[in-house]
Amino acid sequence: MCETCGCSESGEFKIHDLHHHHDHEPIHDHHHDHDHTHEHEHDGVWHTHSHDQPQQKVINLNMDILSDNNRLAQLNRRFFEGRKVLCLNLVSSPGSGKTSILEKTIQALIPTRKIAVIEGDQQTLLDAERIKKSGAPAIQINTGSGCHLDARMVELALEKLEVDSNSILFIENVGNLVCPAMFDLGESKRVVVISVTEGEDKPLKYPYMFQSSHLCLINKSDLLPYVDFDTEKAIGYARSLNPKLEFILVSAKTGEGMDLWYEWLAGQAK
Amino acid sequence: MHEFSLAIDVINLAQREADKNGTRSIQEIIIEVGDLSGVEADAFGSALDLLVKDSILEKALISIIKTPGKGRCNACKLEFDMTQRMATCPKCRCFPSKVNGGDEFRVVSLLVE
Repeated sequence: MCETCGCSESGEFKIHDLHHHHDHEPIHDHHHDHDHTHEHEHDGVWHTHSHDQPQQKVINLNMDILSDNNRLAQLNRRFFEGRKVLCLNLVSSPGSGKTSILEKTIQALIPTRKIAVIEGDQQTLLDAERIKKSGAPAIQINTGSGCHLDARMVELALEKLEVDSNSILFIENVGNLVCPAMFDLGESKRVVVISVTEGEDKPLKYPYMFQSSHLCLINKSDLLPYVDFDTEKAIGYARSLNPKLEFILVSAKTGEGMDLWYEWLAGQAK
Repeated sequence: MHEFSLAIDVINLAQREADKNGTRSIQEIIIEVGDLSGVEADAFGSALDLLVKDSILEKALISIIKTPGKGRCNACKLEFDMTQRMATCPKCRCFPSKVNGGDEFRVVSLLVE
């Protein structure tokens, strides 16, 4: 309880035109005030008052801004669980080889598994076309200026893409190790792809992504003899952030390690 | 630049709460952005500035409170100021430490008429 004006810490309350005065800043047009402090703080709940107008009301919300996305993601998740769909959100920097891994995976598994793909890119239909050529239905989401997919985009894509029961749905996120980390799509598991041409310190530079992933595919293993990538170091860095993260070293080009990836997929889909 | 889509979420959230409370004008919105939330407070503020036109927040004072990151050492349990998630414990140099505050990203309150 705020002792000065009697407002409560939660819920909402009205402020009447009281006779006491604080040094409140007057309400003014659109102005950013970073790092400012207010007259009142209750256990980290901040609020401000203006006492010059009657019938103003503070609505205390303490509402997570990502709650909209998280709610939609939960709906997507229920949709997948209801149909026993294994949904994987593939995230990486641009150029790590996500689409190549998907092409090879589809070619190898499509005779025995139903697979569908949602492709996310800022522009072009190129990736969805590549996926379709490898034999799986695919839909492309172009985010325009957006840097990530969110749960609503996936929900809309699901209206247009037929996803069969017991299938695997791959969502290839926009190539970006920063923003997609924040947005739950409703996936069953998140798979982060890095390639040996990127440098082993990627996990340290983009900790959010590695903290939120379940599996790390280290791609382009065929190039290891030509680059300075230290696989053990990369795994150590990533594990320091996320001890439960699993790793598979693969080459989409030569097929090395891809069997382990398919085994992992089979294990998830049980 | 996920700050743009987050700014849109904030405007939608504010509109929804305004409708729920039967109010037509929001005078102030207070938003808390933790230093470890993954949201750049300044970029987010700029995005909101650009997007509020013709929205329920057009005339609102937008107050962004940055909350400092707090860490708690997994080994010696020391609580310390954490400026980035990769911080080592300043006392025992252990790594990693648990984030113990500063990862909030939320609308704290609205001042409505």
